[in-house]
Amino acid sequence: MAVTPGTETQPPPYLGRSVRIVGPVANVDMNQTPHPRNSRGELGKALFNWYRNTISRDPLTRVSAPNHFADQRNFLASVVNQAPKGKVNARQVAVSDPAAMTRHIKAVARHMGADVVTVARAHPSFLYAATSPPKDSAARDVYQNRSGDVYQGRTPEQMAQRYPYIIVATTAWDYDKLQAHRHYIGDAAYHVSQMKAQVILKALEGYIKELGYAALRGMSNPQAAGLASGVGELGRNGLLIHRKFGARIHMPDPIMTDLPLVADQPVDNGVEDFCKVCRKCAINCPTNSVPFGDKVVFNGVEKYKINWLTCYKVRPYMDTHWGSCLTCATVCPFTKPNVWWRSLTVWTLSACPIPARPVLVRALKAIDDRFWGATRQTRVRWLGYDSGIKPGEQACTVAGCTAAHGTAHGAEPVGNVGYYAPLKENTNRFVKRDP
Amino acid sequence: MALRSGWLKVPWRRAEGQRHDPYWHFFVNTPPADRANSVVDVIRNAPEGNVFPTKADLHTPEVTASHVKEMARYLGADLVGIAKLDTDDAGHTFAIVSAVRADDDPRESQGIGGQVPVQNGLFITFVLSAWIRELGYRASMAASPDAERLAVAAKLGTLDRTGKLVTAEYGTRVHVADVIRTDLPLTAA
Repeated sequence: MAVTPGTETQPPPYLGRSVRIVGPVANVDMNQTPHPRNSRGELGKALFNWYRNTISRDPLTRVSAPNHFADQRNFLASVVNQAPKGKVNARQVAVSDPAAMTRHIKAVARHMGADVVTVARAHPSFLYAATSPPKDSAARDVYQNRSGDVYQGRTPEQMAQRYPYIIVATTAWDYDKLQAHRHYIGDAAYHVSQMKAQVILKALEGYIKELGYAALRGMSNPQAAGLASGVGELGRNGLLIHRKFGARIHMPDPIMTDLPLVADQPVDNGVEDFCKVCRKCAINCPTNSVPFGDKVVFNGVEKYKINWLTCYKVRPYMDTHWGSCLTCATVCPFTKPNVWWRSLTVWTLSACPIPARPVLVRALKAIDDRFWGATRQTRVRWLGYDSGIKPGEQACTVAGCTAAHGTAHGAEPVGNVGYYAPLKENTNRFVKRDP
Repeated sequence: MALRSGWLKVPWRRAEGQRHDPYWHFFVNTPPADRANSVVDVIRNAPEGNVFPTKADLHTPEVTASHVKEMARYLGADLVGIAKLDTDDAGHTFAIVSAVRADDDPRESQGIGGQVPVQNGLFITFVLSAWIRELGYRASMAASPDAERLAVAAKLGTLDRTGKLVTAEYGTRVHVADVIRTDLPLTAA
């Protein structure tokens, strides 16, 4: 009996050394991922109220973070993502050379401001299951861009065949501001670049439609597509770690398309060898959500698996200090400014033969601990924000200010230490350290 | 930023790449068949949000002005200035003018690529004006015909004979983004 085209099982995709597919992978239902579950109230009252009913007291968070706005019209990502979708241009631009088109799409994304852009070959296991997002706009994740029933009765295999490429375009967070992680300054680095990525992806989606090809959003798991296209390798902290930016890149909803392109290959940055030794993110995580142990198999995928629920549960209690923790991304030794010495180091690591890498990694880890510290405590001052003020204390934050302040303000903070809530001394007792 | 990235920018590399790109002309010059595919229109037609009911605790106008400029630069503005408005401008006292580098003139290049400077400018002005509204002050952005005149008043550059802004940094290859009119206490220039 002949097999219907598109329903035969494909071999598992190669995702680099950090992640291995070892069993059958069920397509992830996006409505069962953490944010949608929380918006339905399945994670308890505290988290529900934090997610749906909390207005941030920080003006910049109110315009840049999802869910904590006072007025949604002041939040650009919701304006962009909730706008009606455009139509595909009937006059299709012919593509004779897919390699030239791939170079073009990458140049276009970079021209719009993307820091990273890659193309993945679509695989059925990357796709979200064929469920529609909730109709209720309040229960809908702002970053969930699927419009209606895109599957139209097709299987994931047929979708991956019909739309064979996934374009991953994204932005990196500002390094200097990220140093004030667990602080509104770090939030600014994260949220503003996230909004920028949303605008770039929306523009890129529109441009692909103008070329006369389909551009589907809300289809693919961004991390799977990122791994397959060589954005980076999956670290112990569950984040993709990029060659130039480390863990400080967003993984927004990629674009699935039938535009003829050439797919990129997974990369080897040495992350796999580094994560076996390092554990800096696990030691610094304020909720102990990052594993100290080995990889596990989850949904047929062998990888480091973080405990997303404990990571999520601390957030409502930190609302007056930050919106996004970012500790595991900041302390990662790969997260460094994109300068020549980090390029040289990553090149050395990836050029080193794999059996010799553990020795090199231990040396690099020691250098990182020596010069950047086992725990980051950089003091960052930006606009009126100052991470040198201990949580719970007040001080004037204007550099060189000589005005006489009322009793509401304490003395001006001195020294070069940044304090990030929750304070490390309050979380140390929860953290299990390696002997 | 170019220095922080560790590499000196080679000025001709990108232009060289574009010359060999068979689709670049389409990207820059062909206007979109469906306007909904353009982010520029989406952002420009979005309604303005509310002003936050509680005014934020601000410092002196000089410090606030430096914060506004720093925020505009962080959002991607290459040039930013503040001009004092005439008092009869609907209660708005200051205009914040930001400008971005433009490889193609958006007035001539109507394609999605030609409009990228406008897109970048709208990203700055939308977020900046929303931020000022969340600080508790009025701020509205609009494409205004006197944007270039206000840019001169904000000391971004001078006008040439055709009425285009000429800047010291980028010459005429610059796009003046929508002007934000606000009653936030600032200082001009």
